[in-house]
Amino acid sequence: MNRSVEMPALDAAAAQQWQREYDAQIGKDRATVNRSGIPVKALYTPADWDGTRHLHDLGYPGQPPFTRGIYPTMHRGRTWTQRQLIGLGTPTDYNLRLTDLLSQGISAVSLIPCNSVFRGYDMDETHAELLGTCGTVINHAGHMDEALAGVDLARVSCAMNDPSPFTLFAFLLVTAKRRGVPWTQLTGTSNQSDYLSHFVANHMFYRLANAGARRVLVDQIAFAIEHVPRWNPMSVVGQHTQQAGATPAEAAAFTLSTAIQNAEDCIARGLDPDRFLPRFTFFFDISVSFFEEIAKFRAMRRLWGRIARERLGAGTPQAWRFKFHGQTSGADLTRQQPLNNVARVTIQAMAGIFGGLQSLHTDAYDEAVSCPTEAGARIAIATQNILKEESHLTDVIDPLGGSYYVEAMTDAMEAEIERVMARIDAVGGMYAAAESGLVQRMIGESALCFQRQVDQGEQTIVGVNKYAAEDNAASPAQPKPDPAAMAQHLTQFRRWKALRDGASVKRALAALAHAAESPRDNVMAEIVRAAEAGITHGEICACLRDVYGFGRPLVAV
Amino acid sequence: MTIIPKVLVTKIGLDGHDRGSRIVTAALRDAGMEVIYTPPWQEIASVVKLVLEEDVDVIGISSLATDHLIVPKLIEALAAAGLAHKPVIVGGIVPDSDARELEAAGVARVFHPGSAMQDIVTYIRAAAERSRAAAYSE
Amino acid sequence: MCMASAGRLSRSRPLPATDHERLARAVALARSGDRAALSCALTLIENGALVSGEMSAEWQQAALRCHRIGLTGAPGAGKSTLASALIGEFLRRGRSIAVLAVDPSSPITGGAVLGDRVRMSAHADDSRVFIRSMASRGNPGGIAATTGASALLLAACRYDIVLIETVGTGQSEVAIVRAADSIIVAVPPDAGDEVQALKAGVLEIAHVLVVTKSDLPAAERTANELTASLRLRADRDRAVRVVPVCAPKNHGVQALVDALETQRPRGTGKQDGDR
Repeated sequence: MNRSVEMPALDAAAAQQWQREYDAQIGKDRATVNRSGIPVKALYTPADWDGTRHLHDLGYPGQPPFTRGIYPTMHRGRTWTQRQLIGLGTPTDYNLRLTDLLSQGISAVSLIPCNSVFRGYDMDETHAELLGTCGTVINHAGHMDEALAGVDLARVSCAMNDPSPFTLFAFLLVTAKRRGVPWTQLTGTSNQSDYLSHFVANHMFYRLANAGARRVLVDQIAFAIEHVPRWNPMSVVGQHTQQAGATPAEAAAFTLSTAIQNAEDCIARGLDPDRFLPRFTFFFDISVSFFEEIAKFRAMRRLWGRIARERLGAGTPQAWRFKFHGQTSGADLTRQQPLNNVARVTIQAMAGIFGGLQSLHTDAYDEAVSCPTEAGARIAIATQNILKEESHLTDVIDPLGGSYYVEAMTDAMEAEIERVMARIDAVGGMYAAAESGLVQRMIGESALCFQRQVDQGEQTIVGVNKYAAEDNAASPAQPKPDPAAMAQHLTQFRRWKALRDGASVKRALAALAHAAESPRDNVMAEIVRAAEAGITHGEICACLRDVYGFGRPLVAV
Repeated sequence: MTIIPKVLVTKIGLDGHDRGSRIVTAALRDAGMEVIYTPPWQEIASVVKLVLEEDVDVIGISSLATDHLIVPKLIEALAAAGLAHKPVIVGGIVPDSDARELEAAGVARVFHPGSAMQDIVTYIRAAAERSRAAAYSE
Repeated sequence: MCMASAGRLSRSRPLPATDHERLARAVALARSGDRAALSCALTLIENGALVSGEMSAEWQQAALRCHRIGLTGAPGAGKSTLASALIGEFLRRGRSIAVLAVDPSSPITGGAVLGDRVRMSAHADDSRVFIRSMASRGNPGGIAATTGASALLLAACRYDIVLIETVGTGQSEVAIVRAADSIIVAVPPDAGDEVQALKAGVLEIAHVLVVTKSDLPAAERTANELTASLRLRADRDRAVRVVPVCAPKNHGVQALVDALETQRPRGTGKQDGDR
């Protein structure tokens, strides 16, 4: 139905009538505020946002201000990448799971390494009980080759969950080289490469002290732009801060501020924003706060387009595009009545899809209990397929565009995000804000605030503080790596290490340390050389920790 | 003279998420207890030394990402240092079967996600008072 | 707030009368090297066990060879970083060190987060180091009511150094004067008005003024201001040193320890009643 814009006088009268009737019938109304603290009204009308603003505030998909999408075709042309984060056990275990998932329709690889790898250790340097429980134990280039056996690196996009110093990226490059795949054909992302988000929120990824992490990140970006031009070396992370308790608007603000910080660091290095910004990607949490998340993503798309152009000086449209991967929020999932999580993940995934993401990971329903089981992982993928192919959610681009509520909320989220960004700017940018503890304090306060709301019943969590059932089914056992296989993996690793030429190991490490200490060298290039020379992940991390300092997050309550 | 419970909130192993441990620490402080709060990745030997020097009443381990699998090693180390009488509780993501194994290994209680903060605070206070009474009553 | 209980822990269980005896037993074991007993003794003292005049005198005697050092300063002055560097330097010189790290109790709930220990993590695992965290428990003046007795006991247990790191409010910390032989006050650079406020009380008690973060340009100006203020004071019979320190880079730490050891050489000690 085609409506023309209402005449103001008639509209005002009808609005007043509605308000009167609403007030009379509603009884005790509740004041609603979303997670970012923005009030949510009962009704939105053209008074809140009207269609005359379409061209200026929304634009067409693929055109500034990008509110409706970064590409003209969006999901109708190319659906989002189904990129499930997986990782478990030995490289062989990983390869089996990966092959299975590829056959079910995931279109890209995402590799999660073992916690020991996140912490910068080789498998012979940590508690054996903790090997392979949540990710794959990869310590050298050969392991990467095993993990990706049968995967055509020239055609399949690979995301490595890989903080500084990007050893997994190095192992992937060496693997590609050995297989004769030119680096120019590799596509993928150094996922979660954002050291500031590790410093302030997900500390597990935090290995090198900030100054060193900053240096290595810029080196990696410069290296990738030059040698692996289709790779996204920068994944700015909003997920960590939101999982740690930041509100969606805060997480968005911290992320954009971090992106600005990293971009400015690259510009200071002499890199051209039109070359590196197209390779900046973002990684976000998607909570169950459905409309808020949609508004968040749309607001960020608009904000980033403006920032890239006006603040960072990029001239080409590719540099203005806000590309992001969304992960459904594990923090919203419950241990109680875990099958309910399937419904939650569906809502979160829909919010991400309507928010216009480029790539999506859906959590398994048992995520709150353990690292996901195979059954849980299958349902997570099926959920995406149902949304895509049964609900046809990809048929219309930005279907909620023009909704009075969604547009008003997009505007409100944008304002709130800018407000938080101004606070970060006031203390000198994201690096300074993180070092001073400001960001951590803000996250902590929001986390406490949310906890209070849950404790007081103001925020319902079904099955936890309301609709709780006495007979919660026992949680499934944690899938654990086969101890015999892991023991063999460890034995083989030790043997392989012992067979290396000690002198060339020493030389490679000395070269790495030297590059790390020289301001003019590219540390990433040296890391790749070291990986090729058979230096292990733990050795590379230890060497750089020696030079730059062991990363210790600022801890405060 | 009032007895003020002294509680350790720490993380051993490899995980680095601290939202839960920070919230519990704040809740314990707000309930009038003294909390020693550490960063993640504490070595077991460091925790034992800390428990001995600080004479904490309760040891709280925050565990996500499977770190609970090494809690039995901590319990052994505490026992070897003569500290077996101090209760160890674990909060975080622990599958039920693993929780039962932990309790069999000597963990006093496992708190899962979704536990009410008040329940955690009440339990810890009671455990601390029991622990203190047992240590100082003979 | 849903989870706060208003006011301090209201359940009171008075300690049994034999607590003094328990303390005596624990102390005897502690003084022969039993760390667990030392820890228990500290708990008993902290919770009100009576330290008799006789005990105290005995400990004073045993503590003569110990150098008790108080470290105070406003929040943000970098006390913990400085403490860690000090510990490192003392260890390098072959000393054993006990640390009492005092953090403020909440005036509303009575609880506390004791976070100083983790900032000394570099040395916490050393067997020559003993670290004990304490909450101020409402005691004004930066330390707990029992910190003095606790420090004395640690000194009597033959630690070469007892370092008391306190909550600094920037005002006169009189209480620490009674607990320590030497007082270090940490002053951040460019403290501005705070330096003015500091002068009043702090200069009376300090033996060494440490300008922290000395790698910052403002540090030199702050050091000069402090030196100038010291010269203006009438009380000249105490030589107060101003030492700039950059703890993370280990600059000035040796000079600081030298100043401390000059001020109070090993083997000499405060007697009860000394300033």
